[in-house]
Formats: sequence, structure tokens, C-alpha cells
Amino acid sequence: MSESTATATATRGATRRAGRTAPAPRRSYLRPLLLAVALLVLLALPLYVEEFWLRTGFAVAGAIVGAIGLNLLVGTTGQLSLAHAFFLAVGAVTYTFVAGESGGIGLADLRGLGWPPLVGMVAGVLLAGLAGLLFSPIAARLRGIYLGVASLALVFIGQHVLNSWTQVTGGFNGRSTPEFSLFGFTFGNTDPDLFVLEVPFREAERLWYLGLALALAAYVFARNLLRSRPGRALETLRDSEVAASVMGVNVQRYKGRVFLVSSMYAGLSGVMYALSIGSIAPESFGLELSVLYLAMIVLGGLGSVGGAALGALFVSALPLVFQRYADALPLVGGAGEGGLAPGEAARYLFGLAIILVVLFQPTGLAGLAARFRRRGRDPGGGPADRSASATSDSTTSVPSDPPAQGSTS
Amino acid sequence: MDGVSAAADVRSDVPPVLVEDVTVRFGAITALSQVSFTVEPGTIHAIIGPNGAGKSTMFNVLSGVYKAAEGQVRFGEHRLDRMRPYQIAGIGVARSFQNIALSPAQSVAENLMLGRHHLTRAGFVAAGLRLPRATREGRVHGGRVAEIAEFLDLGDKLHTPVGVLSYGDQKRVEVARALCTEPRLLLLDEPVAGMNAEETDRMAEAVLEIRSALGISVILVEHDMGMVMSLADRVTVLDFGRRIADGTPAEVQSDPEVIRAYLGSGDEIDPSEAAEAAAAAHPSETPGTTS
Repeated sequence: MSESTATATATRGATRRAGRTAPAPRRSYLRPLLLAVALLVLLALPLYVEEFWLRTGFAVAGAIVGAIGLNLLVGTTGQLSLAHAFFLAVGAVTYTFVAGESGGIGLADLRGLGWPPLVGMVAGVLLAGLAGLLFSPIAARLRGIYLGVASLALVFIGQHVLNSWTQVTGGFNGRSTPEFSLFGFTFGNTDPDLFVLEVPFREAERLWYLGLALALAAYVFARNLLRSRPGRALETLRDSEVAASVMGVNVQRYKGRVFLVSSMYAGLSGVMYALSIGSIAPESFGLELSVLYLAMIVLGGLGSVGGAALGALFVSALPLVFQRYADALPLVGGAGEGGLAPGEAARYLFGLAIILVVLFQPTGLAGLAARFRRRGRDPGGGPADRSASATSDSTTSVPSDPPAQGSTS
Repeated sequence: MDGVSAAADVRSDVPPVLVEDVTVRFGAITALSQVSFTVEPGTIHAIIGPNGAGKSTMFNVLSGVYKAAEGQVRFGEHRLDRMRPYQIAGIGVARSFQNIALSPAQSVAENLMLGRHHLTRAGFVAAGLRLPRATREGRVHGGRVAEIAEFLDLGDKLHTPVGVLSYGDQKRVEVARALCTEPRLLLLDEPVAGMNAEETDRMAEAVLEIRSALGISVILVEHDMGMVMSLADRVTVLDFGRRIADGTPAEVQSDPEVIRAYLGSGDEIDPSEAAEAAAAAHPSETPGTTS
């Protein structure tokens, strides 16, 4: 072997990198082009499609924000949380309280601050974050399933508060959500009346753009996060807490931080959920919602931001679509008719889809998409099977001596 | 590989490591019992011993993963036995793992960038919003990571997910990741275990180059006796959690207690390993003078 020329390169920062540096991953122009086209289509959609699809789109956007947030916690960091519904509720209630007016009918004496809805939205995100911060000392000390059980408590606390704090939440009847508005522009049917290319832009059209913008921002933020310093630290601490801490990652602080970020995503998602339904009620924020969000990220592919978005699309849109096309679908009946209720049918389908994913495609929809992308590019299937290697390779990620005291070292 | 070469120039900020009377207990089992040794700045110090001797436990104490029940570990003015693992990383102590502890789905470059964690600052907000300082930081450190990868023959695999690399490559990524923290003290836990002869030679060469070019201290746990004897400036031998010898490779080789530890009660020792140890201990003589 030759003398230490390589050392000089490595250690003294000489510039011998020209010859053998690795080729960067291939960049194709197809991808940005496709993204641009997709964005244009999404932007133009309100001109062509009917209100139902736009309303569904906004609901999906809200679910995407929430699913991305949960995926940062569960998929990327390996921390199970069942409290997502609670943080959605904090966001939704805060928005309704801050932006809503006082008053009410009959029994319900409702309070509200009547502040601008944008303030309500920001307050919803911040308060959900604060709730996450208060819980994060617990989150930082527990891992995996233990955190899941501990976080379950928050859902039940949330249910109790939603049902009993009537002045703020509207109690078990719930209360209606104030319309969103941005610097005097209302995301409602009028005020101002708006026509684009002679198509009336009413509440559904306006909310569509709001949802698109928020979901896109949530997506980009998470993508950036995962591709940089904090994201690498989170992924490593999922794979081996000991390795992460020995490499200089303050494991407890990072677990707390990611819980905070995840609950802020949930807060925004809660505000969008409230806007999408037009009202808040305790039964909307039960354990079932937490489980639906987990279903989204498992179906979409744990750890993948795009996967979370796909999973959210599938899980949140399916019941709505079933409801609308109940007549046309076999086995599915409308309200009061024979056959399965649309919501039930959708649930059966999630169940089936989750079983299929766990059995045949553990990397979820994101892994499936990656497989098709690769096939399109090189038929042989490149060596860089990023997603497959994540699950099929089990030789790594166990440090030589896991500390006896587990995560609380 | 020729014999031990003295460090070219020891970095001035590399203090000695003083391990003093360290005892580690797990319940009733004493894994380490009053172990002491000193690692002089800029030296390669090997810790050897049969399986279960406490070598990995010692490493876990040095990197803060285990807490010592008694005794202390000093590194300059720092007390490693009182610090958390991430704090120890922050003062320039890096470690590679015996059983590879990399993130298989991440690329080599991403795994190596984790080594830059304590040298970089970008937090959740800066990273999520791609603030200019975060991207600049990533670019600068990415360049250094590429250099270190090149040094360990990983230059053409930077963008390959670690999970699909060969075992030898993964071991090299482990060492490269530790190097990426710009350590003053490098802890290598069996860096050549499972490697073939050629890979082992290359790794031994790399360890020497690291020491001579960077002037840092290296502590090495290793089973490959040939490698230990040719690389190490000093050797500490552990057996059943006790220090049974400490000295230069030549001194340790002729220590009767070391020979007994390796050859004596052979129930738990791989025969080939024992033969290797004996061959290294007595290059010119026939092994097995004691039973």
C-alpha cells in the first residue's frame, strides 16, 4: 500500500477531490417539470371542478398537515403517540375561542374573544405547541409503546375538557367555527364577491387555496428538516439512541423538540379541521381520530413526508367519496338504506389496506411510488434501493452494548 | 507493516486520558474492578483481553454510556465519568461501534454528517426554513465529510445507502463517522473484526495515518493480535474485569499472566485466537510453554 498521500488529502484539506469524488444522485429535469404541471393543475382546479371536490381537498390538506406532523414523531423518530387527536383539539378549540364571538343560543352561553381569525390560527398552533411542550418532559423520557400509552391519557383528558368546559368548547353539542379571513379578505361565500374567469369563487374555492398553501408549506418545512442536521439526528436516534448520543446528539432534548414540532403541526391541522367541518364537537377528537392518523402514516410509509401526504389523502378522502357515490358503489348504501354505511365501508377498506401494506409493502405508498419511479428510470433497478434497505436490512442499528437502563440513561 | 512509529507531531490540545480505579457493577456482577491506565497524548493505546474481560464495558465508560460506580476518568480538565455521552462527544471524544450502529436507510454522506452534529448549529427552525446560514453550514461541512470519506476509500459510495454496503465498507463508515467529529481522542471498538486480510491491512494503515497526521490519541479494542502488536504504543490487558498487565507490546508479550489468560483455561477461548495470541506473543519461540 502506498504512503500517506491519502492522509494529506483527508487531513490537511488538500484539493485532490477532483478525480474520484462521488457522482451526486442523478438529477432529471422530468421531476421539476412534473411538479410544476401538478401545481398548475391544482391551482386551476377550482375553475373546473365542483364544490364537493374542493371541500374534500381542503379536508385532505388539513389531514396532510396533521399526518406530516405525526410522521415526524412516529416515523422519523420512532416515538409512538396516540395523543395527536388531543393536539388537534387544542388547535381547533383555540381557534374557535379566539376568533369566535361571545353569545349563544339557549342553554349555551359561549365566550369568544372575537379577534382576527389569523390571530386565532396562530394562537391555535402556538397553544398546541405549548401543550406539547408541557408534555415533552414525559415524551423525552419514554420511548416507543410506553409513550403511546402515556399519551393516551391526553386524549381522555381532552374529551373531558371538551365535554365540560361549555363556555369555550360548546360542550357536547359543540359550537360553530368562525369563518377564516386574512387582512379583510373573507374565506366565505361573500365579502368580497369574487369572480375569476366568470366562475364564482365562494367559500370552497377560497379555502381550497388556503389548504393548498398551508399543506405545501407544511410539506416543504418537513422535507427541509429531514434533509438537514436535526433530521439526521432524529433518524439516528430512532435507529440507535446510544449511537446518536455518542455522536453528540442530546437525545432527550431532541425527543422533546420533535414532540413540540409535531404538536404544532397537529394544532394547525386542528384549525383546518375545524374550518373544514364548520364546527367543533367532542366526538370529532376522540381516540378514533388518533388511530386514523396512525393509519395514514402507516399506509403512506413511516418516515416519508410524501408518504404521509399520500396516506392522508387516502384515509381522509375515502369516506367522503364513498358517501357521495354510495348509489354507484356495490355493497355500499346511503343513509337508511341497505348495505354498509359509507364510513363503515371506508373503515373496512383501511383495514384491508393496512394488512396488505404490512404484508407486502412495509414502506407504504411512498415505497410503492419509489419503486415505480425507479422502474421508469432504469429497468434493472438501481442499487440505491433506499426504502427497501431500510426494512430488509437488520444487521445494523444495534450498538455493541445497549445501556442496561434503557432510554433513561 | 513495520513496527511502532512515534507520532510525528502531537496536537497541543490533546491531554492525556487518566483512568483511575474504575469499577463498574451490574447488580451483583462486577464488570470492571479498579482498572487504571494512562493514555499518553498522541499514542495508540490498545485494550485487549479474552471475551468478557470488560473491554467494551471500559469503552462504554469512556464514552459516557455507562457510569462508573467508583473511580474517575480524566481527560484534561474534564471528568468523563461525570458527563453525558453527548457532552463527551462535544469535547472531542469520538467512538466507533463494534456492532455497526449506523442508520441503514441513510446514505454514507448523511451518516457521516451526523459526525458533524456537535460542530454545527442549525436547529429546527433554521433547517426547516432553509435559512442561508443552515445551507452554508451544510455545504461547508459536506465538503469536509467528502474528504474524510475519500480518505477511507468511501469517496465513490457517498450517496449509497449504508444498508446495501458490504460489511467491510460499513465498518469503514463507522470509523469515518467517528473521524468526522474532528476528535482529539478516538475510540475504536474492534475496527477490523470480520474483515479480510487486505481490508485489515488497509485499516491498520489508516489508523497509523490518522494518528501521525492528526496527532490525536487513539484507544483501540481489538482481537487481531497481529494488528495490536504492530500498531499499539502501549497495551493494557484486561481479564475478568481486572487489569492484569500494562506496558509496551514487548513487555506485555512476555508477561506470564497474559499468556496464562489467553492460553490457560481454554474453555471460552477460540483456539485459533489463542494460537494467534501465542504467535504474536512469541514470534520466534514455539507457543504453549505454560499449560
